[in-house]
Amino acid sequence: MIKETLYNLRRHPIVTGVTIIGTALSIFLIMVFVMMQQVKVAPFAPESNRDRMLHYRYISFSNKNWDGTSSNNGSMSWDVVKNLFYTFDGAEAVTGYSSGCDVKSVGIKGEKPFAVDVRETDAAYFDVFDFGFVSGRPFSREEFEAGMAVAVIDSNVARSLFGSDDVEGRYFSLNGGDYRVSGVVKPVSPLASNAYGQIWINTLSTDTPVNSVWAIIGGAYSVTMLVPEGEEINDVHADFDRHFEAYNKSIEKSGWFIISHNRPYTQEKNVVGEWANFEPDVDAYHRSNMIVYAILLLVPAINLSSMTHSRLRQRVGEIAVRRAFGATRRTVFMDIINENLCVTLIGGVIGLALSVVAALCFENLFFAVSFAGPLNGIRLSPSMLLQWSTFAWALLFCFVLNILSAGIPAMQMSRIGLVNSLRGGANK
Amino acid sequence: MKRKLFKQVCSEWRTNIWLALELFVVSVVMWYIVDYFYVKLSVFSQPRGFDTEHCYRLSFNNVTDKNPAYIPDRSEQEQSDDIREILSRLSHLPFVEEASLSINSHPYNTSNSGISVYRDSLNTEGYVVRRVVTPDFVKVFRYEGIDGESPEELAEILSRGEWLVSGLRFNRKDIDQKDLVGTEFFIAGDTLNAYRVGGAVRLVRYDDFNEWGSSVIASPQEDWYAYASECCIRVRPEEDKDVQRRLMDMSESLFHVGNNLLVNVTSFEEVKRRFQQGSYNTFRDMSFMLGFLLLNIFLGLFGTFWFRTQQKASEIAIRKSLGATRGDIFRRLLGEGLLLLLIVTPLALGTDCLLAIHEFNSYYDGGFLSLTRLLATSGISAALITLMIVAGVLFPAYSAMRLDPAETLKDE
Repeated sequence: MIKETLYNLRRHPIVTGVTIIGTALSIFLIMVFVMMQQVKVAPFAPESNRDRMLHYRYISFSNKNWDGTSSNNGSMSWDVVKNLFYTFDGAEAVTGYSSGCDVKSVGIKGEKPFAVDVRETDAAYFDVFDFGFVSGRPFSREEFEAGMAVAVIDSNVARSLFGSDDVEGRYFSLNGGDYRVSGVVKPVSPLASNAYGQIWINTLSTDTPVNSVWAIIGGAYSVTMLVPEGEEINDVHADFDRHFEAYNKSIEKSGWFIISHNRPYTQEKNVVGEWANFEPDVDAYHRSNMIVYAILLLVPAINLSSMTHSRLRQRVGEIAVRRAFGATRRTVFMDIINENLCVTLIGGVIGLALSVVAALCFENLFFAVSFAGPLNGIRLSPSMLLQWSTFAWALLFCFVLNILSAGIPAMQMSRIGLVNSLRGGANK
Repeated sequence: MKRKLFKQVCSEWRTNIWLALELFVVSVVMWYIVDYFYVKLSVFSQPRGFDTEHCYRLSFNNVTDKNPAYIPDRSEQEQSDDIREILSRLSHLPFVEEASLSINSHPYNTSNSGISVYRDSLNTEGYVVRRVVTPDFVKVFRYEGIDGESPEELAEILSRGEWLVSGLRFNRKDIDQKDLVGTEFFIAGDTLNAYRVGGAVRLVRYDDFNEWGSSVIASPQEDWYAYASECCIRVRPEEDKDVQRRLMDMSESLFHVGNNLLVNVTSFEEVKRRFQQGSYNTFRDMSFMLGFLLLNIFLGLFGTFWFRTQQKASEIAIRKSLGATRGDIFRRLLGEGLLLLLIVTPLALGTDCLLAIHEFNSYYDGGFLSLTRLLATSGISAALITLMIVAGVLFPAYSAMRLDPAETLKDE
């Protein structure tokens, strides 16, 4: 079978080449698109637990004295982090951290200061996000609660500040205040948007918990909860909903109330929603992705159909002889489909390989994010791109492309009239 | 000749239908992409109403209470004075041409403040940005008056406490921006204070790819400096070298005032890049899609015509032996491709119109569909497809042109 296929392919090198290039091009673009979507949801360090994360990036709230349509939307206050989220016991870990990074000035005495992206966190942050520690450790719960000026820094910053990675216990100046290095981690890609930063400091060592509050509920923080392993995300969500209702009741007297918008969100829902004031429409996001996939598959499929049809026309006689010797329509159809699958798979492998190479070589083109800080580039690693799901998607798209491009020509060929074909009459 | 070509295309409908289908799908998708680029580039080419060349944004942060120089319990007035002092020091630097403070106002801004203004029954429509600025802000970003007033003249209007307006839309359509100058308005929710419009500026667009730019620019008389979230400067063009480093070197000595410390200087090139990265990403995706479609047409035409010329070798040879020139052969093959495009074009045009009527494409210049725009965009996409048809047919046609009739017909 494979021998026969290869023989047929070699007979028409140009058309075979065009078919393979067409398939590779289609799979290449689809896979680049898949990867661009995948890095938003697939797990990679330090967001290895994305499939177990529930995010509360923004909070929406209103006041019973407002007109009923008005709301305030944005990050939450430290009070809400403490009283609504820390008190929830249905999650394995709960962390509150500043929603974005703040540019601050760091340096050591006698050296010129430079700007870095700083995120303020609690101690649980390092349980939820699995940073790769090069030296030292995260700051402890006790250090956090005592409001100690401790920080975790990435190895780029460590080298810029001290010329070394092994700097646990050393001090540096952050906006003029002294901070002790608790640990040094591998640099984090801005694609891990919740874990990204260059320095992570104890938020209780700053005035943010007190000074960022607006109307009790608004502030500067986001929360991520880790669903315990083996537990259903929906169950934890339902537990949280009950907890949330109870909290809303407890602040009733103040006049303020939190609007749920079905929060917290899974990783996918969290990245789909850019706005704080309404629930993200995951279905619409899937629909627009489907349209892109459809165009990327349909156009080459029509193309390849045309070529498959032309190729098969030359083999009408051969197919008719096989039918005359007892081959069923189904056998002929399946043979053509399988033969074509070989070509599709060759093109698919080339396309997938090209997409990985292109993604790694042009990471700033394909994966550019708007908030990337002054020091950290995109930092893409093959492990972020090559998940099992990547291969599964590539294989699935190859099958779909194969059926789309060879289905109709194969069906036509399996139905040819024997007499005319053997006389050469169907060769049109 | 044309009738023959048409007959031939019809008689080969089994393969041609695939090509026609492909050309149709590609024509529609390509029109959508070309239309997107047409709109974005048209907007991009319009004047922005501001100039960010040689401009920088300075970020200040409060020093922490761990800093020995931290001053606890700083009053609002003291904070305001600190900021005023920073602005004054900046203005006195020899390489700085202008310096300003503002709240949610500079171009390419991720934050903005909204306002609604009215007078009698006249109300603003749509979102209006409120730009709270120091008068020199219009000099930093080189705003221009609608009658050619210079930034200096506009700054003078602001320093009198009067408003500048840009691109305001009202519930009455006959209002021109110039008509507003000299009139007074109220801010929604405040019936006590009237504000006089001192001048109208040329439309200040929100960013490079946005047509919209309704805004009110004001320099309130009360002290708001403690809340100023933005500090922007324009440097002298001949001094625009190494500005970030030069300023950061002065951070501790000159720009640590009160609890404020200069922590970062960003060029507006970078501010713009970060703000517009989303648009750039969409451009990238659309360009890839465009290239992909064009390449597919090329491959489709190339593959099919390669086969076709091989199968029709004897037919071509006979035509050549009956006196057809190489040019005739080429024109015939190209004619087949172009005729297919011509057949699907009306269908594609109809689909394009349908998409525009249902507002699937981009909004521009008051609507989704106009004759010039439709003709321009479908013309460009048809031209691109034609180019690919020519490229796709070229090589197979070349090999057909080189057929030797005697050799090909030897077996016959």
